Amino acid sequence: MVKTHRSLTLPAALGTALLLAGCPSPWPRPSPPSNPGTIPAPPSAPAPASAPPLPPAAPRPPSPPRENHLSPATRSLVTQAHRLLARGDIDGASSTLDRALRIEPMNPLLWIELGHVRLTEGDAHQAEVCARKALALASGDHAAQAEAGRVLADALRAQGRNPEAQEVESRAYMH
Amino acid sequence: MLLAAIAAIWIVHLDRTVTREFQGRLWSVPAHVYAAPLELYAGATISANDLELELNALHYRRGDPASGPGIYRRTGNAFDLHARRVRFIDEQRDAERVSIHADTASITSMRLADGGDLPVFRLDPPVIGSLFPVHGEDRLIVAPADVPPLLRDGIKLIEDRRFDEHRGVDVYGVLRATWANLRAGHVVQGGSTLTQQLVKNYFLSDEQTFGRKATEAVMAMRLEAHYAKQDILVAYLNEVYLGQDGARAIHGFGLGSEYYFAKPLGELGPAELALLIGLVKGPSLYDPRKHPERALARRNLVLKEFGDAHLIDAAAAGREAASPLGLRPPGGSYVPAYLDLVRRDLKRDYAEADLAAAGLSVYTSLDLRAQASAQRALSRNLQKLDLKSPVRGGHLEGAVIVVEPSSGDVVAVVGGRELDTSGFDRALDARRPIGSLVKPAVYLTALESGRYTAATLIEDAPIELKLADGSVWAPQNFERQVYGQVPLARALAESMNLATVRLGLDLGLPKVGATLERLGLESSPALNPSMLLGTVEMSPLEVVQVYTTLADGGFRTRLRAVRAVLDEHGQPLKSFKVQVEAAAPPAAVYQLDRMLMLVPTRGTARGAAARLPPGLVVAGKTGTSSDTRDSWFAGFTGNYLSVVWVGYDDNRETGLTGAQGALPVWADTMASLKPVSFDPVVPDQVEDRWIGFDDGLETNPTCSSDAVVIGVPKDSPLPLNPKCASAPSPHATPGDKIKEWLKRIVH
Repeated sequence: MVKTHRSLTLPAALGTALLLAGCPSPWPRPSPPSNPGTIPAPPSAPAPASAPPLPPAAPRPPSPPRENHLSPATRSLVTQAHRLLARGDIDGASSTLDRALRIEPMNPLLWIELGHVRLTEGDAHQAEVCARKALALASGDHAAQAEAGRVLADALRAQGRNPEAQEVESRAYMH
Repeated sequence: MLLAAIAAIWIVHLDRTVTREFQGRLWSVPAHVYAAPLELYAGATISANDLELELNALHYRRGDPASGPGIYRRTGNAFDLHARRVRFIDEQRDAERVSIHADTASITSMRLADGGDLPVFRLDPPVIGSLFPVHGEDRLIVAPADVPPLLRDGIKLIEDRRFDEHRGVDVYGVLRATWANLRAGHVVQGGSTLTQQLVKNYFLSDEQTFGRKATEAVMAMRLEAHYAKQDILVAYLNEVYLGQDGARAIHGFGLGSEYYFAKPLGELGPAELALLIGLVKGPSLYDPRKHPERALARRNLVLKEFGDAHLIDAAAAGREAASPLGLRPPGGSYVPAYLDLVRRDLKRDYAEADLAAAGLSVYTSLDLRAQASAQRALSRNLQKLDLKSPVRGGHLEGAVIVVEPSSGDVVAVVGGRELDTSGFDRALDARRPIGSLVKPAVYLTALESGRYTAATLIEDAPIELKLADGSVWAPQNFERQVYGQVPLARALAESMNLATVRLGLDLGLPKVGATLERLGLESSPALNPSMLLGTVEMSPLEVVQVYTTLADGGFRTRLRAVRAVLDEHGQPLKSFKVQVEAAAPPAAVYQLDRMLMLVPTRGTARGAAARLPPGLVVAGKTGTSSDTRDSWFAGFTGNYLSVVWVGYDDNRETGLTGAQGALPVWADTMASLKPVSFDPVVPDQVEDRWIGFDDGLETNPTCSSDAVVIGVPKDSPLPLNPKCASAPSPHATPGDKIKEWLKRIVH
């Protein structure tokens, strides 16, 4: 059953995870260096007229790059989850991803993985929510958004919600 | 003839009762409950000293790890650990040697002893108790193989010398006791065998009647007829009552050992075993904490008997008798309020009888460090607050719950300032008006409507409402002031009542009520105007559920104390998977969270900063019910959410606002949890902008000293502060994103 499920794109997901693993780590995110009593985490204010302009080496990007990846600890857990899932041990895979999510609760890649597991066990509704959560967390990371979008579309189709699935697939980050 | 028949029926009945009950108990081990195992990985914020504390709490000893599991060696900040064989939810792990390096802040690297990769490694899950369903009985079951020989022989020597010979009733013993009692003129010896004592504990009341004695004798004999001596002895050792800790009855030598000496039974020496054995005769009479001298005399009498009977040699008996009692405070893992929550979670799926059955293992989310921190924070702060309280001789109470919002894992539950409370668990059972904790639901409803942003001005002005019963309701601000036109963000941060009531009425009570329910309130709130100021009553646990959704970007995760239940063979019976629902749009929740981040910097919770690590970003809301009967704070960091309630059990006025009572407890709890800053992902449709906190006009921090960051839908037209001509256009305000991006380029 596991092998024949059409939405099981785990090798692909793992590929993404491993590929991204070499990137610099935004996880866990550092706490912004601000002083007590001052405003926390202020957005860097664009230069007022009197302030020096942004350094020329840093042209303003339309959308700052943002890439999520797995740490060695969570990557090893994801690999283990895949192994368990291949054996048909859905509960084991699920608990193992639980462990990973406790280490990196805001990593969209882990929610994507959990979405896959939920689809595999036939819980399309939970798969949908996991994918939506992954999408929310992946804001600004097009690769992760596209992967989350695929899980979301699969989860919607599995519930017979084809028009919604098509709408998701037509979104910009899917291409 | 008739009498003989009745007697026969009676005996058969007792025989059936005794076998049925004993069968059930003897071969069933109550569910063992485990706390969450500590995850180790490079980068985990666990210092070398933390790690050693953890190992010691799990009874790992320093020594040569090559000699067996349960032993570690520490060389500087390097650990060579021989981890025990241990069962987790998802795997049985064999004993293995690992090497772990840590520094003064975190784990730096880990390897298997053979040099193999070890990206992540769990320590043993700590046992926190067992779910014995009857009365407040608590115990840790000891297996036959784990009974120390000196305990086995010693208990027989002191309580029932002819245990191995008699068949349940010791006629010789009864005669001897009677003779001794007659000579003394009062009762000095009991003639009951261990079997009779066991039967009495199992089935019978304490009354000393002939009928009860006869029943006890018959049952004891039937028990002996069916079961081996060793089974009866072990059952006795696990059953016997050894002391009282508030509402909790200490049963069995396994728990007795933990309760009096804070170590496992196998590690007790002769003097410690003698103390426990001596306690059987009168757990309150010889209570070593209340009557140390009496307990010492009793212990030494038992030691002398040990020596006389050659269980230990006489010289050793003398040496042991000179040693102190050696009591240690019970380990910090007695967690009645948390176990309460576990029981409730399990009751949905299991009958009480099943929990006492075949060796279930219950794996929970409890984090013992968080639990201890929360308990300490509550106890210490309430002690200080009692002194300041206007109520003379008052005894403030409180409750704290800590969760990981993303998984719904409940990591700590504190149900009162002292551990041994009456069993009333305020965290779960105390339903109180939540005061201003309700306001975020009003403001979220406003943001979701699309008609308001955090910068929208609303009117804080007096209002009078005619209620359905004809009375007039005229709410006031806490400080009895009126603020006029204020932006939404300030009205929430400063918890303005008049502005909130006006906003809520504009949105409609049913909409606000529906928001509360979406966020996680399980019962529908009564839709009267005063609900906008928090007359709705909730328990701390219910508040946690609602705020979890706010801390997690609008995703509502079911709270979870129990992660999984395994059967005696380690097979999963049930796992409680993460259950998430999309409850509120992430974009609106982000805008609300940005406002809640202003509460500790500009609003009612400014007092928190002094107690938190410098620079830590947190979000939250204070709550005070009418006449300061309830003091609340609900708030979150990047990794934990906590809700604190402070008040009197009899609902008197405390004189404390949420900021004065609950907030210090909250901040101290969070500060001890290695918090990381709350740093929500900015949704695609939203951007961060600067506005003046007082006037809501778009500005920048170099122009206005009261500039604060809010989140607004992208390209929202915000009125510009005319004095700040250089105020940025929306498109030039990429906010956090650009900062992050710059940081990456610079590094």
